[in-house]
Amino acid sequence: MPTGSAHRLVAPYADALLARDLPALDPTRRAETVDFVALRVSTLPTPMLVGVSIVAWAFDLLLRLGSRRTFISLSTRVPIPFVSEYPRLIRSLAFAYVWERWPDTRPDGGRAPVVP
Amino acid sequence: MSLAHDPFGPADHIEVEVLIIGSGAGGAPTAALLAEAGFEVLIVEEGAWVDQGAVKPFSLEQMARQYRSGGVTVALGRPAVPYTEGQCAGGGTEVNSGLYKRPPHEVLEAWRADYRIADLDLDEIDTISDEVERDLSVSTVPGPTTEASRALARGAEALGWRNGEIPRWMAYPERGDALSGRRQSMTVTYLPRAVRAGARLATEVRVDRLEIVDGTARAALVTRSGGRSGRISFRHVFVCGGAIQTPALLQRSGLRRHIGASLAVHPTVKLAAKFRDEVNVDDDVPVHQVTEFFPYSSFGGSASQAGLVALALNDNWRAFSRQIIDWRRMSVYYAAIRSEGRGRVVAVPGLRDPVVTYRLTRNDRALLGASLGRLALAMLAAGAEEVFPSFRDAPIVRRAADVARLESGFRADRASVMTVHLCSTVPLGEDPNRCGADSHGRIHGTTNVRVNDASLLPTAPGVNPQATVMAIAIRNARRFIEETPVG
Amino acid sequence: MADTHARRSAPPATVITGATGWFGRALVERLLADGRPALRTLVRSPEEGEALGARGVEVVSGDITDRRDVARLFDGLPEGADVVHGAGIIHPRVVADFTRVNAQGTRYMVDVARDAGVRRFVHVSSNSPFGTNPVNGETFRNHEPYHPYLGYGTSKMQGELAVLAGVEAGLDAVIVRPPWFYGPFQPERQSTFFTLVRTGRFPMFAGGTQRRSMVYVDNLVQGVLLAELTEGIAGRGYWIADTRPYEVREIVDTVRRALTDEGYEVSGRPRSLPIAIARAAETADRLLQRVGRYQQQLHVLGEMGHTIACDISVARAELGYEPGVELYEGMRRSIRWCREQGISL
Repeated sequence: MPTGSAHRLVAPYADALLARDLPALDPTRRAETVDFVALRVSTLPTPMLVGVSIVAWAFDLLLRLGSRRTFISLSTRVPIPFVSEYPRLIRSLAFAYVWERWPDTRPDGGRAPVVP
Repeated sequence: MSLAHDPFGPADHIEVEVLIIGSGAGGAPTAALLAEAGFEVLIVEEGAWVDQGAVKPFSLEQMARQYRSGGVTVALGRPAVPYTEGQCAGGGTEVNSGLYKRPPHEVLEAWRADYRIADLDLDEIDTISDEVERDLSVSTVPGPTTEASRALARGAEALGWRNGEIPRWMAYPERGDALSGRRQSMTVTYLPRAVRAGARLATEVRVDRLEIVDGTARAALVTRSGGRSGRISFRHVFVCGGAIQTPALLQRSGLRRHIGASLAVHPTVKLAAKFRDEVNVDDDVPVHQVTEFFPYSSFGGSASQAGLVALALNDNWRAFSRQIIDWRRMSVYYAAIRSEGRGRVVAVPGLRDPVVTYRLTRNDRALLGASLGRLALAMLAAGAEEVFPSFRDAPIVRRAADVARLESGFRADRASVMTVHLCSTVPLGEDPNRCGADSHGRIHGTTNVRVNDASLLPTAPGVNPQATVMAIAIRNARRFIEETPVG
Repeated sequence: MADTHARRSAPPATVITGATGWFGRALVERLLADGRPALRTLVRSPEEGEALGARGVEVVSGDITDRRDVARLFDGLPEGADVVHGAGIIHPRVVADFTRVNAQGTRYMVDVARDAGVRRFVHVSSNSPFGTNPVNGETFRNHEPYHPYLGYGTSKMQGELAVLAGVEAGLDAVIVRPPWFYGPFQPERQSTFFTLVRTGRFPMFAGGTQRRSMVYVDNLVQGVLLAELTEGIAGRGYWIADTRPYEVREIVDTVRRALTDEGYEVSGRPRSLPIAIARAAETADRLLQRVGRYQQQLHVLGEMGHTIACDISVARAELGYEPGVELYEGMRRSIRWCREQGISL
């Protein structure tokens, strides 16, 4: 899948999820992380991509329709087997990126205090 | 320095004597032996050439450049089981832990009996293993191992559990230490050897399917980098793409019998252990393993750079997130099991990649939980202050009583169960009900299609499989050389 | 690590709980035969203690769930006494009994014993805190994660934790973990076992290939005495069992053979039931226990589908434990004892 379309599909939800999970993460860093997540999604094996696309499309729709906060909160607690893999995937990719790139990021996404 | 060249030039159709698909632990030794025996060999590899040391080990960059699909490949099931496949010259050998375990005799004997493998001589395998150990410079760490590695050993000792340092294929400089080794992967060993003997290597070439007529394969239809198609005619072909790609390619080529139906893996669960002192090593893995519970399970250490620690804590982020600040005092450890369950690889027409599924049995789930509990005990015995098991709602474990909560709360469906070892999709042997390939890797019902990689191993061996893959591949290559005239 | 065979001499006094139970009676017999001085025990009623009293055992009347009674048990004990704490409930009327007796009772015993300055406290535990083996073929080692099998297991785990807390506070305590035991002095439920096996009605599941460790009561007594008298092992726990685990079908066959050789008539044919039945029993047992109720047959049935096997090599190495009696011989002795007691099988 071309990166552009993966980005359109995945970015809004990933951005909202990260904003909730790591509220203190700089918008610039968050954007960079979302770009990475979208890039990885674009190179998923095709069967996975098909499944993820469907779920991503549904999540994106629900995100725009309803209350963002409620939906994001619910989406991470969905017990439906295949569907719950999607937030997990987004989170894993994002967290792996954030802490590899900026290892001293705080648990809420904030920058580490500068050590004198 | 890349050893790859474009074999096509301006042409779209070339002819070779032996085509080897895949340049990993199966393909590279096969190429070297055949080239040295005088065969004209072309190796095609779907991935790119990346020099050892050009990319930081276990980093996201490595996942992008040397793994298939950026490292995000998943076997569907409950739970889904993420796995990894190398995709580069040298395949999995470029990116794995490098831990070397000779094929265990009891495993070989069980395979030989169960799957009716002809001419599987344990002495021959041992002799081949001796050669491989020399060629790969298999050695233990000079001097002391890392603290993270020693911690696992210490914990196991305290509990009276058998454990040991596992040697790796590494070359160490004269006064080197634990972190100074150079990985003796295929790009540094068997691929240069193959090329020196006259083999050619083409990278970024994907085989779409094989043309097979009346059981004889004639050519491979490929897509080259840039998207151009190509056709490679050959006399013989060795499919060495690994336990996922090999059956997928064979299925795309019309070969299906006992191919792709018996995927075996080593399901693995993990935890993060926090110590009083800084133990984190961000570009290497521990070399100690706990072998007390062989063949059922084994424990070892994983790559633990900060991003991977965050991942280990991610399953219960709500409760564990605070710990990430202390990642330097933490290291990730795993428990891998021998699984009763099996999976499938199914090539779907029109889709580039196969669908992969895996099913854990009830006993597998119980064994995963018991193994994670035992691992937690070992880390406490090693002096870890706190242990963070990787599953949803896992408790923080500080003492033995907490392990009870780990055990009662563990569910495989809530845990990050993954595997880095994949085998058994084209089992070798003469059992007509289970074996896709004969005792030396030739696909039953074909004259010249051979498999020579981890797909042949009838079960997941319960130890790091690369040594077994190489030994079997070399045995099979030698048989081919004996019975096939050159030219 | 212990000098494995450094042995202490017999203590000036020995406190025993559970003396009227299966293991307790066997232990008392052995200690009396050895000429151990000053045995003292706790019984719930004077009648229960009569037989013991007649043999010269000092009997203190009381309930282990009452701290004052436990204190009286240790009153006036000479310095350097040993304790063997074998009291416990395996098959209660209500689930709450598990906690009261196995957990709370043990806590009282540990606290009072520590204050009384006893020399060694041996706690008789069980396999139950560790659950069942996840795979047939696996065995429990000396250190295992706690994974209690329902109410009994949880209470025995809490008992062990109480003992280990006592060790941290300075008590010299050792834990002995016996699996399924058999032998003379057995209670009524074991006779039912013999009857079922004799008539071919003993429920076996999925071919009876599950492996179960068992311990003949005399082997257990030996193990407990070694745990009592060996130097330098405070805080350690040991599996005490017969040499190897037995497959369930092997147990059934061996018991039938022993019955025949002791002159009983065996009938019927042992048959294997689908494992689903054992699983259903286990689920039902779990549900019942959750509402505080306990049904013995259901519990035993549920457990029969599992492997519970342990490794005695550390007990061998550190205590010099050597099981002297194996299944066939042990079962014959059990059967003979039943006959002598007039128990019909």
